[in-house]
Amino acid sequence: MEEKAATKTAHPAPADDQLTASFWEACQHGSLMMTHCRDCGHYFLPPGPCCPRCWSSYIDQHAASGRGQVVTYTVYRHGYHPAIPPPYVVAVIELDEGPRMVSNVTGLDPDAVRTGMRVQLVFEQAGDRKIPRFEPTIGGTTGTSEASTGKKT
Amino acid sequence: MSRGAVIAGVGHSEFGRLPGLTPWQLETTAARAAVADAGLEPGDVDGLLTDPGPAQGILDGITPHFLRLGAQLGLDPDYAGSEILGGAGSVGIVGRAVLAVEAGLCSACLCAYGDSPLSQPAAFGYGRGDDAVFGFFGAVGMHALAARRHAHNYGTRPEQLGEVVLAARAHAALTPHALKRELLSMDDYLASKPVAEPLRALDCCMVSDGAAAVLVLSAERAARLERSTVRVLSQAQAHSLQTMGNGTHFDQLPAARSAPRLFERAGLEPSDVDLALLYDCFSIVLLMQLEDYGFCARGEAGSFVENGGIAPGGRLPVNTSGGLLAECYGGGMMHVIEAVRQLRGEAGERQVADASVALVSGHGLGMNTHTGLLLGADR
Repeated sequence: MEEKAATKTAHPAPADDQLTASFWEACQHGSLMMTHCRDCGHYFLPPGPCCPRCWSSYIDQHAASGRGQVVTYTVYRHGYHPAIPPPYVVAVIELDEGPRMVSNVTGLDPDAVRTGMRVQLVFEQAGDRKIPRFEPTIGGTTGTSEASTGKKT
Repeated sequence: MSRGAVIAGVGHSEFGRLPGLTPWQLETTAARAAVADAGLEPGDVDGLLTDPGPAQGILDGITPHFLRLGAQLGLDPDYAGSEILGGAGSVGIVGRAVLAVEAGLCSACLCAYGDSPLSQPAAFGYGRGDDAVFGFFGAVGMHALAARRHAHNYGTRPEQLGEVVLAARAHAALTPHALKRELLSMDDYLASKPVAEPLRALDCCMVSDGAAAVLVLSAERAARLERSTVRVLSQAQAHSLQTMGNGTHFDQLPAARSAPRLFERAGLEPSDVDLALLYDCFSIVLLMQLEDYGFCARGEAGSFVENGGIAPGGRLPVNTSGGLLAECYGGGMMHVIEAVRQLRGEAGERQVADASVALVSGHGLGMNTHTGLLLGADR
């Protein structure tokens, strides 16, 4: 990491990447945008120049419902960055539309997170950025789809 | 008829915290040792492949690593390159050297790994792309996600991860050059501080300065050597580049796809393997590979390693010099070297009796890359 000394304690910002710039811009406006293939219907993240399933470049952006479930997670007990003190949860979230993404599960004791837990998108402010994170769905139950059974092919 | 390729020489520098020694000093030391081990001279080398570790990196400006090392070794080879497959790179370049020699592009290909992450400024706690936004730092986090999956799917317990670490120490205790030779108790393991649960500090491999090299030689040239050589029986790779786009990424390694091909190409079964040198950057990766390579059924690696299953004298001795967890961080090239020593019957106190087939694997870049080799004794 080639951070400048003055920014060492600031919360890490998204990578300066042309592919993901539109994703993070939408986050600033409170939307989690998935990329959608208009030829085969596939939804995917992170954004890319073509559909990773059929290679079509006939693609557009759709807002996710924000509902999903925890595929797997880890509780960091060791801190790697001064702006992100442990303990905190890093998780793989499978959105109900299909795409998976790395994020955080917040709003509960890290020890209470479970694989298969139903979660809902929330945006949390970090510096001048809105970060898409997930918290347990109120009244949600543990999912039974492939995310908890590992049967996805 | 295939021209055939063998491993004819191995060598390495010392490992550890080596301030004042540049990667170049370490790599040239390893190269000299590997060529001498084969009974050859520097002028005999006509191929160079390198696997620079992450601290020194593949490029200095526009100058690639193999060019810098080749210049220092005075080489004008017929074949050269550097490979970036992360921890799969060392096994990868040995496999690539075999292809080059078999194709007749060169006949004596030096394969070198080296790095000095402890003694030169470099960031190991990396967060790729947007990962840092979520505090997803270090290779440990990616592997913790897989370890959690394994626990969820199969009920794998912390003590079963611990067995991997205890076995590594037991092997290292028999290995004079290993860095962590003191035996570990399960209580010691369980007291190790959590880093990214369920992984503890002791589940993570060592970080070392050092270099290691292997010389791949044509069978034709090897026939004129007095030294016994090691045959390369087969090789296979598989990669999972989509990460989140691959629905099984956290449930199995790409090795699940490459392993059947590796055995089929050699005409062998997992039960033919006498010892395995499995890339072990984290304990969980070793467990997953036992399943991916078919040494046990999926989900049963935890019980496979219990009661010393992979320790000295176990049903499958794994990482007989201690591996990345206890020997040193040798990039994966030290795994190749240990396999060669075992197959030549030169492993001293830790020698696996009648070792004739060894599996060597490499795994890297989070969990994106995998390379494998089956090696055979020349008898």
